[in-house]
Amino acid sequence: MHSRIRECQGWLVPYDIENKRNHMKKYFYCLIIALFIPVWVSAQEEAGDIADIWSYPVVYQYTEQVSWYFDLAGTTFAEDEDVYIWIWSPSEPDAGNWENSSEFAKLSYEGDFIWRFDLVPTEYFNVTAEDIANSAGFWLRLKNKDGSKQSGVGNVPVTSFNDFFTADEMIRSYPTKPAIDEGLSILFNSNLVDGFDGATSVHMHSGLNDWEVEQQYQVWIPEVVEKTKLKDMGNGFYKMDLIPEEYFPVPEDYVMENMTFLFVKNEWEATTPDQKLIAADVVPPPPPVFSFFPLKISQKDILGMRRIYNERGVTTLHYIITAGSKEISGEFSGDKNEIKGFVDLVTELEGLTGLNSIHVVVTDNNDRLITETDIPLVELDQY
Amino acid sequence: MKKTCIYVLLFLLVLPFEGCYQTDDGSYVAPITIYEKINGSWSLDELTLVDEYAKSNAITPDNEVLTSFFNFQNFNIQFNVDASNQPTTFEVTGDVPALFLMSGYWSLSSSYPNTNLSAVRINLYADAAKTQIVDQLRLTSIPGAQDVMEIQLVRASSGTAFASYVFNLSPAN
Repeated sequence: MHSRIRECQGWLVPYDIENKRNHMKKYFYCLIIALFIPVWVSAQEEAGDIADIWSYPVVYQYTEQVSWYFDLAGTTFAEDEDVYIWIWSPSEPDAGNWENSSEFAKLSYEGDFIWRFDLVPTEYFNVTAEDIANSAGFWLRLKNKDGSKQSGVGNVPVTSFNDFFTADEMIRSYPTKPAIDEGLSILFNSNLVDGFDGATSVHMHSGLNDWEVEQQYQVWIPEVVEKTKLKDMGNGFYKMDLIPEEYFPVPEDYVMENMTFLFVKNEWEATTPDQKLIAADVVPPPPPVFSFFPLKISQKDILGMRRIYNERGVTTLHYIITAGSKEISGEFSGDKNEIKGFVDLVTELEGLTGLNSIHVVVTDNNDRLITETDIPLVELDQY
Repeated sequence: MKKTCIYVLLFLLVLPFEGCYQTDDGSYVAPITIYEKINGSWSLDELTLVDEYAKSNAITPDNEVLTSFFNFQNFNIQFNVDASNQPTTFEVTGDVPALFLMSGYWSLSSSYPNTNLSAVRINLYADAAKTQIVDQLRLTSIPGAQDVMEIQLVRASSGTAFASYVFNLSPAN
């Protein structure tokens, strides 16, 4: 474009002072041409800026298959229009084809003005992961095939998680608070968990809202084994990528409050402790608190048990008290806020002698152990 | 002015003789004892289990209301006295846990409120001779203008209270 303007200026060099009128005419035409040339040359429509760019998986290694999503709502790209990527950093795979983009640069339409582009970065850019890491990042425009329409310059944001490999963190998630309809990446350092040495595969056993909706790790179902399998990043590091509403069999409009999970080695040979991620926009409830009441008891007292801030779905506590040869069992019910009840040790332990303590096991209605403990029985003063 | 002075003088002269009238003091009546006040049948308004250990260590919760558990809403205690207002037997009814001796004999550590404001003790005995205290209750609120009574059963070990049961009672109908 600029070179043509320079040419145009070149016509003016043979300056003819005798033919001033003629010259003025030429100058005028030249000016007209100069004004219109940029339009003819680029003949380009500015479609507007890309509204949003994100990736799935949320975090990924450059050697991994990834999908980039582009929201073109608000641009002049029409729904279902063929859109191509023109990317020049970290390298320019479709160089020289501005006016006729290659098929490999074509995006697929996802609906709702969102287009998707799948790639393995190291393969697409034909560079090493290190080259990409040291580059300026992913800089691009989206365009139509002949280049007559282009978006503003966009950048695919990349979240580096390299520090995880040296952070001595067992679990880290991106984002820290997941949303039900958005991607979630969970990183796992199995080197920090006993028994995970030499794992051939690591799987996730998980649920939403305190195990209300589950995706169990069922070793006898091949599809489930595959679905629950973490990506092996080498050296004992693993990654799980999922979108909760797709991963879990949830009904429509399900409200996710949290996601609970644990990682399993091979066929349940070792497990991590239970983990919990609180969903975005959910105020995390205080952790459950179980307590006995009063804090000291004798054989002639009433023993209270109380659990507050219960997880969803926990409505009952079952207790088994062993006192010498006697076993007392029962249950208390309540709700999310509080489950409370009392045991009449006075009557139950009447006549038993030589008791120094009682053994108490409390489980919830989901068969999860709440507490297992020995409570000493205080010896009462005589009057 | 002179007249007024005379009236005042007359009044002052008469005044000393007013005290010369003999009033009737009546016969001697013994002061009302606590036995008279708590004699009878009392039913439970509220039973609270206080965690004295938690309370002294500022841990919450330090009390729980037990009224609605184990039939305690039917708790009733009857203190009997003889014709001379001396304690005889007592009995707890209502099919409740036997936190203390359910029936037997009783006495008070003092027939009158203690001058040092400490609670009078209700001693409970299994035998009529009242040789050995089986359990002891503290009378923490004596019925008076308000016809309510509060008794406390303290659980202690090595002299330190770790829990107590507070019974709020009112006369049974």
